[in-house]
Amino acid sequence: MSLLSQLLAIACVIGFFAAIFYVLFGQITVRKLRKNPKTKDKLGFEYVSGWDIINVAQSLSIPRKLSKKLENTPLSFLYANSELLHDQTNLSDRILAAIFYWLLTISGVMMIFLAIADTLGFFDS
Amino acid sequence: MSEILLCNQSLSPQNFQLQCGIEIDQISAFSCLKPTIMAANTPYVIGNDQSGASRSILAQLSPAPVAKELTNLSLSYGGDNIVALAEITEKLKEYNIGLMGASTSVYANRLGGFAGSVKDYQAALMEYRQAIVSKSPMKAAMKQKAQVAFEKMQSQFRNELKMVTAQVKARRGVPLTNVERATNIAESSRNVAKLNVTSQVQANNLVKFTKYAKVLGNGLAVIDFGSRAGNIHSSYQADDNWERELFVESSSFAASAIAGTVAVNAGVAALTLLIVATPVGWVGLLVGGAAVAASAAGASMWINGQVKENGGDWYDRIMNGIK
Repeated sequence: MSLLSQLLAIACVIGFFAAIFYVLFGQITVRKLRKNPKTKDKLGFEYVSGWDIINVAQSLSIPRKLSKKLENTPLSFLYANSELLHDQTNLSDRILAAIFYWLLTISGVMMIFLAIADTLGFFDS
Repeated sequence: MSEILLCNQSLSPQNFQLQCGIEIDQISAFSCLKPTIMAANTPYVIGNDQSGASRSILAQLSPAPVAKELTNLSLSYGGDNIVALAEITEKLKEYNIGLMGASTSVYANRLGGFAGSVKDYQAALMEYRQAIVSKSPMKAAMKQKAQVAFEKMQSQFRNELKMVTAQVKARRGVPLTNVERATNIAESSRNVAKLNVTSQVQANNLVKFTKYAKVLGNGLAVIDFGSRAGNIHSSYQADDNWERELFVESSSFAASAIAGTVAVNAGVAALTLLIVATPVGWVGLLVGGAAVAASAAGASMWINGQVKENGGDWYDRIMNGIK
């Protein structure tokens, strides 16, 4: 197996677990928030159905300072309201969010870097 | 390049010469180097090109179900169209989530819309053809209708069409990009179709396309974009290792979706911060959004290709590990 294939396999394994946590987090936490009248309309913009799960996970797992910064821009409607979500979720929700979000991001970023590196010819030999 | 001839009824040497303007000893089939008649639903290659590439293209197109479907499709869509459509379908499948506009639209709609607009265009052409055959006075109106359908397809799906037809170098233009050529094809009745196949990849796309697209009466074809499921099913039918195919298809889909998602997410966040830090304004936002969408699509397509390439190997290793 080539180095590229090995690294990509690792990214895919991480992505596999991210996909499992995507469903878990969606069912356990976001389902609850979608029913909650306080948070129902504050879950951010859905590019495709289900994207709110990613919005919520992001606002619960990236540093709150960065969330605040994103939410104070003209594009704030894209993001979930982190202040409110922190109030409406418990610690286990936030842990689940962080696990899902960072698995997804690590897997995706790895894939993107591999794509760039391969396009630039790092794996040619 | 190999020129492939297809015909929906058997032709005697005289008839063949009448219809195609060349001698029958100028063509050869995969199973028959010196044919005495031109058999129906069989691909023939023109010229004495016995090179490996030509032979293997013929071999790919020759199995009876493929050849029959390909003949029907080529006759109702026109030979150039089929080659172009087969490539467009193949490309579109690689997009997935990646082409989702960073700001608004959803690509899933686009796939359906594209299939729909090609179908409308084709339906208008077939109506025009009917009008010519029955010498209907509506001929001009029908031609107009085909023109309108063509323009609609062009304006909505210019990028998709351009990407593919750039590779199809027919001198007279491909009917998908040239309405005149399409109406000319519709005007001349024929039962022989000619395909210009430039590579084995193209031949392979054609074979796949015959599996997704089915001719329904009147030359209307249904293009099935649920082809990932199709791949698995055909491998199941062929008694192949369908679990392996399932693994490859589903993991390449999941991986390309993940890459696209993260690219969009990170790209949009970067764009948001950029707006605060610099006076880029709304135009910059649109340009940036397009750039994010394009890079997401690029990452998504690369991942899809790579996982497809390596996925089978991974599956074998996992299975060997478990045993």
